[in-house]
Amino acid sequence: MITIIYRLIVAMVISLVGWNLFTEEKITNQLNCAMVLIPLILRMLMIK
Amino acid sequence: MKNNKRFITACLCLAAAIAICCVTGANFLKARELPMPVEGPGVTEVKMLSDWFEGLKGTHADTPVYVLQGSEPGGKMLILGGTHGNEPSGYMSAFTFIENAKVDKGTVFVIPYTNRSGMTHNDPGEGNMQYFTLQTQSGPRTFRFGSRATNPIDQWPDPDVYVHYPSGQRLSGSETRNINRAYPGRPDGNITEKAAYGVAELIRTEDVGLTFDLHEASPEYPVINATVAHQDAMGIASDGCINLLLEGIEMSLEQSPTNFHGLTHRELGDFTDTMAILMETANASQGRLRGRTSQKQVMGGQDKFYEKSEDLGMLYVPWTVNGLVGHPIEERCGRHLQGIYEYSQAYSNANPDKQIVYSGVPGYADLFLNADPAYLGGSWLGSYLK
Repeated sequence: MITIIYRLIVAMVISLVGWNLFTEEKITNQLNCAMVLIPLILRMLMIK
Repeated sequence: MKNNKRFITACLCLAAAIAICCVTGANFLKARELPMPVEGPGVTEVKMLSDWFEGLKGTHADTPVYVLQGSEPGGKMLILGGTHGNEPSGYMSAFTFIENAKVDKGTVFVIPYTNRSGMTHNDPGEGNMQYFTLQTQSGPRTFRFGSRATNPIDQWPDPDVYVHYPSGQRLSGSETRNINRAYPGRPDGNITEKAAYGVAELIRTEDVGLTFDLHEASPEYPVINATVAHQDAMGIASDGCINLLLEGIEMSLEQSPTNFHGLTHRELGDFTDTMAILMETANASQGRLRGRTSQKQVMGGQDKFYEKSEDLGMLYVPWTVNGLVGHPIEERCGRHLQGIYEYSQAYSNANPDKQIVYSGVPGYADLFLNADPAYLGGSWLGSYLK
């Protein structure tokens, strides 16, 4: 159960970071968002 | 126009992130497929630990158990390799045993990856490699370099304080994923405790009389080049130690402390009828004084910082053995395999109705003393692997 909640929280953070990625003006901030997404996606899928 | 450009760059960044996820994700998933031993002449059956404890079925903790049954009845022995995935001499000794041993009397169970989940990941903070490759009889073979602890994907979160069952001993929270702090385990515990329980169930069900747990430790750790035995096993361990000394192997012998819980040499001796013995060899890649972790360091056992540390008197083992600098994998596996031989001989002498007799496994002299120094550091060991 705790794992499901955890993955839902991670999914929510991914959606917020993804939202930021598409609303950021500066490309450096967009790159930052993309880098943050990588470990979050791997964790949501329970790969790493 | 500006919004359009922002959308395009966002899409490109997202595509790059997804591409990196695919590449790294495939790499991490591949790490869960572990290289397995080639079945040697003595292997009669390959089972899974879940055959003794069903609660492990379908989990990453379920691990293969190689059964080598002799043509004559006798005693039963269990070899635990890969308790800690970052201590390669443990599982490489198990591989060497499985691929070479021929059992004449009794039955030998070998678990190459005792904490299988721990083999599926690394300790990134240690800068450890994921794999190493050895030249073997069949060509290059790749082996995993794992972690001391269960993969957090399989067991999380770590508590602040780990309370051992059933003693109530309190340890650092990260030790909750260390199988050698989880014995005797429990069927309804976390995945590490379940794996430990599976090992204990195997011992109880099969009436295993002698159990070995193979480890490595840093050269600056006091319990090194050592055997730790449960009090019930001290008799055979003493006999075996004398024979090891005669073979040219310096081995210190310690009795398992009664107030340090969760370890094989304490709990398997207390909660089963087996004689539990743990052996430690010296591995530079385990230590805090080391330089960069590399295959030369892990397999060759060489590290210039440890050469300096010896000069400063900081080590508990000599750094030059038999005229060679460092502790190559052949020396470490040779110690383990010779130890298994001598202790099992002592067990057989003490229990004539439960003898364990096997042949074909290289010992300390084969692997180290008589080796061509040019091939030490993996290639010589590889010549004994299929």
